[in-house]
Amino acid sequence: MSQKTILIVDDDPDVRLGLHLRLKANHYDVIFAADGMASIAEARKHIPDLIILDLGLPAGDGFSVMERLKANDSLALIPVIVLSARDRAANMDRVLKAGAKAFLQKPVDNAQLLSVIRQVLGEKQYTPAVVHDLGDV
Amino acid sequence: MTETTIQVLVVEDNAGDARLLREMFSKERPDSFELTHLLRMSEALIHLAKGGVDIVLLDMGLPDGHGVDTVRRAHAAAPGVPLIVLTGLEDEVLAAEAMKEGAQDYLIKGQIENRALPRALRHAIERHRMQTETDLIRANQMQFKDEFLSHVSHELRSPLTAIYQFVTILLDKLAGELNVEQRRYLEIVLRNVQQLESMINDLLEVTRVQAGKLTIELQCASLSDPIVYAVNTLQGTATAKEITLSSDIERQLPLVCADPTRIRQILIILVDNAIKFTPAGGEVKVQARRFEEDSGYLVVEVSDTGCGIGPEMTQRIFEHLYQVTDPGTAGRKGLGLGLHISKELVTRQGGTIWVSSQPQKGSHFFFTLPIFSVASWIGQMLSQENKSGDTIALITVEMGSRDGWLSPDVRREMSIVARTLVQQCLRPDTDVLLPNMNSASVRELFFVVAYTQEHGAEVISERIRRQFEKSEHLQPANVTFSFSHSFLEPISREAYKSMEAFVGYVAADVQDRINIMYSQRSV
Repeated sequence: MSQKTILIVDDDPDVRLGLHLRLKANHYDVIFAADGMASIAEARKHIPDLIILDLGLPAGDGFSVMERLKANDSLALIPVIVLSARDRAANMDRVLKAGAKAFLQKPVDNAQLLSVIRQVLGEKQYTPAVVHDLGDV
Repeated sequence: MTETTIQVLVVEDNAGDARLLREMFSKERPDSFELTHLLRMSEALIHLAKGGVDIVLLDMGLPDGHGVDTVRRAHAAAPGVPLIVLTGLEDEVLAAEAMKEGAQDYLIKGQIENRALPRALRHAIERHRMQTETDLIRANQMQFKDEFLSHVSHELRSPLTAIYQFVTILLDKLAGELNVEQRRYLEIVLRNVQQLESMINDLLEVTRVQAGKLTIELQCASLSDPIVYAVNTLQGTATAKEITLSSDIERQLPLVCADPTRIRQILIILVDNAIKFTPAGGEVKVQARRFEEDSGYLVVEVSDTGCGIGPEMTQRIFEHLYQVTDPGTAGRKGLGLGLHISKELVTRQGGTIWVSSQPQKGSHFFFTLPIFSVASWIGQMLSQENKSGDTIALITVEMGSRDGWLSPDVRREMSIVARTLVQQCLRPDTDVLLPNMNSASVRELFFVVAYTQEHGAEVISERIRRQFEKSEHLQPANVTFSFSHSFLEPISREAYKSMEAFVGYVAADVQDRINIMYSQRSV
């Protein structure tokens, strides 16, 4: 089975690298975009299996990215997980309306992130051997 | 003082008193005050509603208004207008009450010195203006503080994310092997990251408490799940401090009507505090049992063998930002927000929280939560008059998803939206939406108990279906709904000794049907 490709859209290079290492260790191929405009271009070029999307982005925020994905037939079906530091309570509603599959708040617990990714990708659940979680988030 | 004429509204039914008042202004410059004299409260309220009044002189014994109530009504009609009450010699107590209701001052009839009245009016206006200004500044400051806190908390989360990511990358050996010492130090970093994260969450939670935005979703929940969760989560912290952490849950405890995530949150705060204030070798214990003083409640006790709290502190520790400052309790104590948040959470779920403690002998924190019973939800509805002969229906709405899966937070969110919509479709006196009855179930089910005619259940289902279809909130998440209903055996309440027995019978039947529904859906 070929590896699934995940597009990470985040303007923070540290977060991008951190996610890259974590996802690579869990056997995903990872591609990146640092702003809204680039994210659409990358999505077109690679047609990823999943997009992990920040909300606060230069050149088109997360909401406008989701709008543009939806408007494009070949991209509309790619599932999106929003990963943002913004307040859950205040943004949850809007994020779901925009079509995201889940809203994860930064800093997200590793186990939770991987579990949601697997569920969205429709993969079988398993508990990773070592996961240092963040406690009650 | 201003040059413009001060518009005075005098509300006084006694012509003699009114004349005396008028005379007191005779020595003032003619354009400094303009008096409008009215005899009735009703006229005064109409006049106040028109605006343009700078101050009200109000008699507290009018034909259509008495005592403090007149102050309240005048205040409600024109909240921004200062008010002085006129009272008799015997009524100083009443006057004091009027001040509490927002009157600026009071004057005793027959004791008003010459020229004192105009001066009192000017003072009252000035005082009122300053008060309004201070209130406005304070409100602005509070709002600014809340916005600032919220902003800062979110900004702090981004760097915290990177620290967490890379510490765990090292700990999980994604960047190579670690020696024992390196591992130990990284675990210290991780523990502190977790502490920082929980402080940020507390800060945000407090701003929510103050803005009245704390969400609580009451449901039928088990107490033991959150207790086991909290004890497991904090076991590592306790062991690191050489503290024994254990739980003791009475067997076969009934379920409570509460929000399980919020119970978890309260327990984490209480147990974490207990560990913090207990020295090495000590013990922290979580117990849950039936509440002896009120059979409608369960009580949870978190006890420790720590430094304890003096009796004078037992109330204050639940206050905002309060911290014990005893030098004997060295080390970091957090932000002092936890107990304040706990109190808010317990109270909002219908319980109470308190502490009993003696210095050096440890503390016992207690909180209660109401026991869940279908009877308490449908009792009111069943006791409505003129309903005998009607049937009782149990309507079930099942939430599903078109692509088979909903993330837990999406499910929670959708469930809240759907619940609100269902509630809007119900008749207030005859239909009841039960809380979530089984949060562990893989399916989200909503139950409505309706006191209705035979075809009524279909009408209600149809109404709910249309609401769901119209709702733009439910569309994008691929949520689907299916409806079903069943009728309870025709029962007449006359067949029961008491209303209580009747409600008990219906509640038991409803509960049975719900249990069957869940067991059919368990995988």
